[in-house]
Amino acid sequence: MTDDDRVFKALADPTRRHLLDRLFERDGRTLTELESELEMTRFGVMKHLRVLEEAGLLVTRRSGREKLHFLNPVPIRLIHDRWIDKYTERRVSALSDLKTRLEETG
Amino acid sequence: MTTLTAQTTQVYQLFIKATPEAIWDAITKPEFTERYFHGARIENSPERHRSFGPDGSAWGDSPTFEFDPPRRLVHGWRSLYDPELAEEEPSRVTWEIEPQEGSYCKLTVTHDQLERAPKTAESVSGAGWMMVLSGLKTLLETGQPLAG
Repeated sequence: MTDDDRVFKALADPTRRHLLDRLFERDGRTLTELESELEMTRFGVMKHLRVLEEAGLLVTRRSGREKLHFLNPVPIRLIHDRWIDKYTERRVSALSDLKTRLEETG
Repeated sequence: MTTLTAQTTQVYQLFIKATPEAIWDAITKPEFTERYFHGARIENSPERHRSFGPDGSAWGDSPTFEFDPPRRLVHGWRSLYDPELAEEEPSRVTWEIEPQEGSYCKLTVTHDQLERAPKTAESVSGAGWMMVLSGLKTLLETGQPLAG
């Protein structure tokens, strides 16, 4: 599996996307905090967190006795650069040209 | 959309196909940093972390806390390029380089101690650091700075 495959696979699950959104709101959370917001066993949450960590989407840090989970946005950025920019650039620039023209005349 | 306060500890991690020495040089020497770090010429010595904009003005001047080539660099951060940000308390940036299998290295950048620098936290978060790091990766892997 390539790095991109791992990221796409990790993002292809609603629970894992939910976990990323929770970390986006507030980073550096413990398993217990993340678990409290999900209707899922501790083991289930741990499994999802491991998939996210293997895809590089989260980084864990020890702080005393606690393990904190941090969102790592870089792999999503790299996917964006590789897979999204390329296909949207021309259309987006056409739209922004249109907006500029309409606003100039309007 | 929800508005969020930028995180006071920000972690960015990526894999780069390069040696630890090449990555170390790329983050500590001005002839490399000016090609991916918004044009800034950054000089890291065991004593100071100094950054100069393309016009020669000071963008950063902070102490170096740890200088352990080619593995670990820890330095202070104050954004002198913007008066509003420059007024805030200093924060801290840690660079960790860990060799992996297959001639890759894992680079982890942690920008923390941002509790008393909320505007700085906001300005470097997300796209800020990511543009720099994806530019660094591109430079090291292709020898070319990012287009645009």
